[in-house]
Amino acid sequence: MAEKSKKDPTLIFRERCETGIEGLDNILNGGIPRGNTILFTGSCGTGKTTLSLEFLVHGAIAGENSLFISVTEASDKLMKNVIPYDFFDENLIKKGTLVFVDMPVIYERLGLTEMELSLEDVDTIVKAISDLVDELSVKRLVLDSVTSVCYRLKTEEKIREFILAIGKALSDRGCTSMLISEISPTAERYSLYGVEEAIADGIVLMGNLERRGDLLRTLQVVKMRGTNHSRAKYVLDLTPAGILLVPLLKGGSGGGTT
Amino acid sequence: MPKNPTELAEELIQLPPSAISLTIRDETYFDAIRGVVDIFAGKKDLTVIYISAAIPSQSIIDVLSILEVDMSRIYFVDCISPIMASAAKRHANVHMVESPTMLENIMLKVEYLMKKNKDRGNVILLDSINMLAIHNSPKILSEFVHILNNNMRSKNAYIVIFSIESFSSDEIANMMGFVCDLEISMDKEGEKI
Repeated sequence: MAEKSKKDPTLIFRERCETGIEGLDNILNGGIPRGNTILFTGSCGTGKTTLSLEFLVHGAIAGENSLFISVTEASDKLMKNVIPYDFFDENLIKKGTLVFVDMPVIYERLGLTEMELSLEDVDTIVKAISDLVDELSVKRLVLDSVTSVCYRLKTEEKIREFILAIGKALSDRGCTSMLISEISPTAERYSLYGVEEAIADGIVLMGNLERRGDLLRTLQVVKMRGTNHSRAKYVLDLTPAGILLVPLLKGGSGGGTT
Repeated sequence: MPKNPTELAEELIQLPPSAISLTIRDETYFDAIRGVVDIFAGKKDLTVIYISAAIPSQSIIDVLSILEVDMSRIYFVDCISPIMASAAKRHANVHMVESPTMLENIMLKVEYLMKKNKDRGNVILLDSINMLAIHNSPKILSEFVHILNNNMRSKNAYIVIFSIESFSSDEIANMMGFVCDLEISMDKEGEKI
């Protein structure tokens, strides 16, 4: 077995970061390989933010400092989304195990007022986030959404630089991260700019599947470096007990669209 | 062959957690419900998850209330009331699934209720396979029952699936025989099926 592991790097065990979402951890053979940067991508209303918040809450409960960087929505509003969870404890926020930061506040403190950010600004943002991760000893991070950051970077070169630099900085710190990516329901790729998906360690696609007039929320792990995983499509439900997943039934899936 | 609710419950009590196909007749319908959700679940101290695909949960609740059955540990996954598009009375123990075609959502609601009530064992009552067959193709329905049964087995839960004799077909009978561990027929007192 040891001999085989030397030949096949996928069989070498990597420490896992359990998401705490039972179905997803099963799909990933125990969780996300620690330090991976994962792109969670999908159109609106597919549960990306809810899933990422649950990932952080479970991490905070397990004693891992968790950071949510909100780019588009005010964190006060987002916090209300975690309160209905049966397993949520307000002390996680009070103790600072679960921290919410608004990206516009970071931009403002760094003096980044121009709508289009430069390559130097990319370095500044990555350094600011890295410092925050160091200062708070963050082990889990969510950036919601990376699409909104990329919107201010404009060029492929700057987006590539940003994703590579943020991915490396977080991975070097042993921080497992979720970058939330927004795509249109009809998109034929996994990210708006096409760069994010090529660089990320993993891609989890969330969608809406229409079947005979019913709309089902779906999740599919398309890619995940460092682990074997299911590539099947699952149906999910957002409940007060957390996100639940069951396999998509295939018997009637003819003609469905994502 | 059980002939009344008590006999049915006694037969079920002898079994380990398993998937049971229960063939009933129109006249034994409420006896079968009572045998499973009241006597059997009561004696085994089980939480009941009642998937109502035949008649709205409110109708079942009304009948069980008349029979003075303890409703506190009975939860409903109702996939009939929402398609009636009328303002249904909200009950704390009732969880709605938009349509009987959303079979995955039925599984998800069952999963949720089991997660919420993990201190006690569970019996899942699917009422009925024939009514689900009206809305779903045999292929997807077989897949659903197969996954649901295996999921419940892995969680050490009982699952009882009603099959109404007068609405059954060879296809449904074959499917039930294939995916269930055991088949029981409920007779009416003094009669033979």
